[in-house]
Amino acid sequence: MQNVVERVLNLLIYLLESPTPVTAEDVRHTVLGYDAQTDEAFHRMFERDKDVLRRLGVPLSRRALDAWEVDYGYTVDPDEYAIPDPGLTQEERVALSVAARMVRLGGSHAGLDALLKLGGIERSVGLEPLGADLGAEADVLGSLFGAITERRAVEFEYRDNTRQLDPYGIAHRRGHWYVVGAGSKGERVYRVDRIEKLTVSDKSGTFAKPKGFDVRSLMDLQPWEAGSDPEVEATIRFDSEVAWWAARTLGLEKPEGELVASVPVANRDALVGWVLSFGDAAEVLEPPEIREEIRTRIEAALEKLP
Amino acid sequence: MTSSRTVSRLSRILALIPYVLEKQSADVSEILDRFDYSEDQLTRDLNTVFVCGLPGYGPGDLMEAYIDEDKVIIDAADYFTRAPRLTSTEALGLLAAGMTVVGMGEATPALESAVRKLTKAVMPEASSALVVDVGDESDNVGILRNAAADQRVVRITYRSVGKEETTDRDIEPWTVFTTLGRWYVMGHCRLVDDHRTFRVDRIRDIEVTDELFERPKRVPDPGVGYTASEDDVVCTIDLYPKALWVLEYYPVEVLRQSSRSTRIRFSAPDAEVPARLLLRLGRDAKLVKGIEVAERVNDLGGRLLIAYQ
Repeated sequence: MQNVVERVLNLLIYLLESPTPVTAEDVRHTVLGYDAQTDEAFHRMFERDKDVLRRLGVPLSRRALDAWEVDYGYTVDPDEYAIPDPGLTQEERVALSVAARMVRLGGSHAGLDALLKLGGIERSVGLEPLGADLGAEADVLGSLFGAITERRAVEFEYRDNTRQLDPYGIAHRRGHWYVVGAGSKGERVYRVDRIEKLTVSDKSGTFAKPKGFDVRSLMDLQPWEAGSDPEVEATIRFDSEVAWWAARTLGLEKPEGELVASVPVANRDALVGWVLSFGDAAEVLEPPEIREEIRTRIEAALEKLP
Repeated sequence: MTSSRTVSRLSRILALIPYVLEKQSADVSEILDRFDYSEDQLTRDLNTVFVCGLPGYGPGDLMEAYIDEDKVIIDAADYFTRAPRLTSTEALGLLAAGMTVVGMGEATPALESAVRKLTKAVMPEASSALVVDVGDESDNVGILRNAAADQRVVRITYRSVGKEETTDRDIEPWTVFTTLGRWYVMGHCRLVDDHRTFRVDRIRDIEVTDELFERPKRVPDPGVGYTASEDDVVCTIDLYPKALWVLEYYPVEVLRQSSRSTRIRFSAPDAEVPARLLLRLGRDAKLVKGIEVAERVNDLGGRLLIAYQ
């Protein structure tokens, strides 16, 4: 690892300081650590090191060196390399440091890495008892986020099907990350943790987000509001023992005694599941077809008993 | 593949150099804190920087980096006056952290302006393309957070997840956290005289008392894993494809899996939990073993059928 660290530092310095693009051969004969390698070993090494540079956030570009595009050279533009200064005050830096310590993403405090590049983590005083774990695979999520900012199309496997998507945004809600975008048949929402084999297109800027698009509008729904069933209004009665809890989920005032509430339903399955999770402390009063569905569901469960 | 440890080591070096260059020299203790270094790691990284530089690699081509008394000194590294750009994962990590805390309703004006500035710098449209919602429907998160910060005992009326019963308890709140979309408070519960984790959405009433408690120096890591106990009701269930979401929502043990069905062992403190689940799953699951659970499904299902006549 020591050798890799030194070699990559030397490579980066060489790329930043060369006024014109340099070829792989230039690198091989100039930068310390690449000499005395066979052709094959050198190319493997160089590929790996370029990958490290990209993972560090270094904008490495490859350019044709002649009109016939025979030779290619590599370059890092120092202006593009430098992190833009967001102009944070000391107080704002402390606030971000506290937030980054509180929140975990993909099993680590991912925000702290960003803070290092912005000048380090500020010390804070006092105990902060709040914490949040946003779950998720940080790599998949980071790649999606990168694709969104650079407007690159993505492709992935989702429940055994290959999907193409122009990604517009990502959202964390109820413990899961979702990606929203346009597929071949209109706007789609996918759960990020079910995405496999994600690839991001090499071409950037290939689509435009619709005007006024906001992820929020797609995410602000209860599970039974998001679906393709014909929309109906259901009336549900909750016993006083659980009424406060149902009211909280529905965003209603804490009731005195029992609660009778009406909700719009576009996903019956989700509504039936939610109501039955209260056992017999909740009952759908209207409409009759949802009552019928619950009856059928219970009969099926009873028939399955050993 | 190069390990991510190599990448994080390089990333920290490339962040350290511009910071020290700008300050000309910095206290070792400050650097250790600010860049989350141990003294050994810092020395090792400075020694690495010291042997790198421009081609030629003679004394005049290399960077200078060393510790003098209690100061970190770096020089002759003009190409590294700025840190590299944030990767998309780093930018997301920090923005999401900021937005999460703003969303908790606990943000100071400084955090809100920091998130705005950061958004503008890394992704002007992030405000419509990134949403983090960890909101709680009640004010309880804020109340518990303040009680934990002030180390005050709270009295809660709690509806337990396992037993579906309501109890009053005095707890000493240590940490308040959210994971997998739910809020929890962890602390010492005086009713059971042990530490416990409670779901905030199941707290019906909450009263902050005047009594102070002492927070232990070491608090266990927040976790919500359900630990099976000897008194648990255990049953075996076959899940059919449409019911596989159960694996993500309950701590179950998978016994065997095929494309047609997945057999799980389900434990809970009370038969009510698997009974409700089985009724909700209908034909998408089958109870294989568990007499107590079967009786409860029968009982509850019968009562529901009468209600839905």
